Amino acid sequence: MEPLAPHEKLFVDTDFIENDENHGEIPCSECHGGDPNDPNWETAHKGLSKDPSYTDPEKTCGECHDHAGENYKNSLHYNLKPYHVLLDKRANPDKKVREKLNSAMDTHCLSCHSSCGQCHISRPNSVEGGLLSGHFFQKKPLMKQTCTACHGSRIGEEYSGSHEGLEPDIHSQKYFMKCEKCHTAEEMHGDGKIYNSRYDVENGPMCLKCHEKIYTDKSKARANHSLHKDKISCYVCHSQSYINCYSCHVGKDKNGISYFKTKPPALNFKIGLNPKKSLKRPENYVTLRHIPIDKKLFDFYVKDGLTQMNAVPTWKLTTPHNIQRITKQNSGCNNCHGNSSIFLLDKDVSSEEKDSNRNVIVPESMIPVKQ
Amino acid sequence: MKSLRKILLIACLLITGILFIPLKGNSDNKDQCVECHTSAKKLIQITREIAKTKPPAKSAEQEGVG
Ligand code: HEC
Ligand code: HEC
Ligand code: HEC
Ligand code: HEC
Ligand code: HEC
Ligand code: HEC
Ligand code: HEC
Ligand code: HEC
Repeated sequence: MEPLAPHEKLFVDTDFIENDENHGEIPCSECHGGDPNDPNWETAHKGLSKDPSYTDPEKTCGECHDHAGENYKNSLHYNLKPYHVLLDKRANPDKKVREKLNSAMDTHCLSCHSSCGQCHISRPNSVEGGLLSGHFFQKKPLMKQTCTACHGSRIGEEYSGSHEGLEPDIHSQKYFMKCEKCHTAEEMHGDGKIYNSRYDVENGPMCLKCHEKIYTDKSKARANHSLHKDKISCYVCHSQSYINCYSCHVGKDKNGISYFKTKPPALNFKIGLNPKKSLKRPENYVTLRHIPIDKKLFDFYVKDGLTQMNAVPTWKLTTPHNIQRITKQNSGCNNCHGNSSIFLLDKDVSSEEKDSNRNVIVPESMIPVKQ
Repeated sequence: MKSLRKILLIACLLITGILFIPLKGNSDNKDQCVECHTSAKKLIQITREIAKTKPPAKSAEQEGVG
């Protein structure tokens, strides 16, 4: 996304000050700090907080919005817990190495948190920030300027169908649904519980909650749905190919600015065994995606950083946002039954990653037989 | 009864008087944050100054998608 012009980022609409009766009357300095009586911008900005909703959402917003304020610090957008959990598993246990890893994480990964303001007031830092619209508080976060400014390369592009040869998600293409139709305020603000993974979040969306009728006569695919109920996930039949990434390196250039390098991703579709079975997710077969991680990810900062790479799989559960009613693999029983090319087999996994992915690789004997 | 009315009247005057003080105070010293952030002209001028000293936001070494 094109960044805003520098002055556009900072321009506050007088309409906001005069007409937003809930927030417009609060003095700027009450939220941002600084000195409102000083006409010199440089000194007036001393001690300023650019984003008062990050340092202390409970105080800045929670005074009036108790629910969001109370729960927010445990939401994944704020605490990024899964990043820490996974680093704990993959990292070299040596203390000195770990310190260097932590500081690399701070630079490259942990700045991607989202504050209240980054969904409701400003564009996120990943697209260089700036006010969404003259400091108006947006009731519904603007999908393209906020959600997919962070969730862009996978979800944004899949949802809008920007990959060649692929359709957008049917919920967007035909029904114009925005993210918040499925991801509600309750989910985005957190429910107060602490989660180790995005897929553990309990108040997230579920296909079946909106599509209860698929096991009844109302569905054209009733038999098909019933045969595979709780055995294979909806995505296995309804998602299209999606991007898989195989490497990532991070570092800093000669000006001290951080960068990352990834190889061009590959479009692919792979069915594997479910690594996260639960009541909510009982299926045996799910779609898997290779994530952009590499043993040498942090080599710029410290050698041998991720010695425990094999502790967790690199092919992970995924829920692509490119649903279609009819897909290549569901348009005939035998596009899937007996079609080993769409299953994640031993030969699809590089030799150094075989061990960590053992539990998700499909043995030849478990490919469903031709109908 | 009469004295009660008098007390009420005085109370009213006092309260409105008190209310007027901060209102007057406000309109006198203008909030400099508002002054500047609602003026495109001033913001353009200042952001140009800042741009001269600021390094680029994105590294030229960045490759691929994140
Ligand atoms: C209720 C608290 C609150 C009040 C009052 C408030 N702001 Fe903000 N402001 C925020 C939050 C939160 C953000 C989002 C920051 C972010 O996401 O990085 C923000 C963003 C901004 C930004 C954009 C920063 C960027 O680069 O994205 C500017 C400029 C700004 N505010 C100026 C003002 C001015 C001027 C006033 C007074 C007219 C004001 N704010 C009043 C909370 C407030
Ligand atoms: C002084 C009290 C107060 C503070 C502080 C406050 N809000 Fe609000 N806000 C309100 C009220 C009242 C409403 C209208 C009722 C509602 O939707 O809850 C509102 C509405 C909203 C809305 C919905 C906007 C709409 O058009 O309906 C958003 C989003 C919002 N606030 C976000 C924030 C954020 C983010 C912060 C902190 C930066 C914040 N508020 C701070 C009182 C406040
Ligand atoms: C990841 C994005 C995201 C973040 C971060 C976020 N919100 Fe929201 N917020 C939403 C969505 C989505 C909605 C629902 C919009 C809709 O469907 O109308 C919403 C709705 C709201 C509303 C409207 C009333 C309601 O509950 O539906 C308020 C007020 C609000 N948010 C305040 C906050 C505050 C305060 C914070 C920080 C503590 C915050 N939000 C953080 C995404 C976010
Ligand atoms: C500033 C960047 C940023 C913005 C803006 C943002 N997200 Fe996120 N989001 C993240 C990160 C980072 C995580 C992952 C946390 C983790 O796994 O550690 C996340 C996690 C999620 C999750 C899974 C966890 C959960 O709490 O359910 C969903 C769903 C999600 N985002 C949807 C959205 C939607 C919808 C919007 C817009 C309303 C949005 N995000 C805006 C960065 C962002
Ligand atoms: C039709 C409903 C629907 C819409 C619309 C939708 N999602 Fe989702 N999303 C889901 C479902 C279902 C899941 C899987 C939740 C689970 O299994 O726990 C999910 C998972 C996620 C996750 C966590 C898993 C991951 O891939 O990282 C993120 C982040 C996310 N969605 C972001 C978005 C964004 C951003 C948008 C808007 C561009 C969006 N979603 C639109 C239904 C939807
Ligand atoms: C928040 C509710 C919601 C969620 C969650 C949701 N959908 Fe939908 N979906 C809809 C709506 C509404 C439509 C429009 C047609 C309708 O009313 O059935 C739709 C349409 C569809 C269609 C197209 C039917 C047609 O008209 O061609 C398919 C296929 C579909 N959804 C599958 C899924 C799958 C798979 C998931 C999980 C990834 C999912 N949906 C999650 C609400 C939802
Ligand atoms: C074995 C493959 C398969 C699985 C698994 C599957 N579907 Fe379907 N589904 C189909 C096919 C094929 C159609 C298209 C039927 C037609 O229109 O000819 C369909 C149609 C649909 C439709 C369109 C309306 C209808 O009922 O015809 C929705 C909605 C839907 N599926 C949702 C889901 C959800 C939600 C799940 C997961 C719980 C799921 N499907 C799992 C194959 C499958
Ligand atoms: C996209 C993949 C896919 C499609 C399309 C698909 N299946 Fe399956 N099917 C599977 C998988 C995987 C299993 C194994 C499930 C298990 O054992 O957990 C399976 C299992 C079955 C079973 C065995 C159930 C049992 O446990 O004995 C039958 C019967 C079946 N499918 C029939 C069909 C028919 C008929 C069609 C076409 C109308 C079809 N399938 C389409 C993937 C698919």
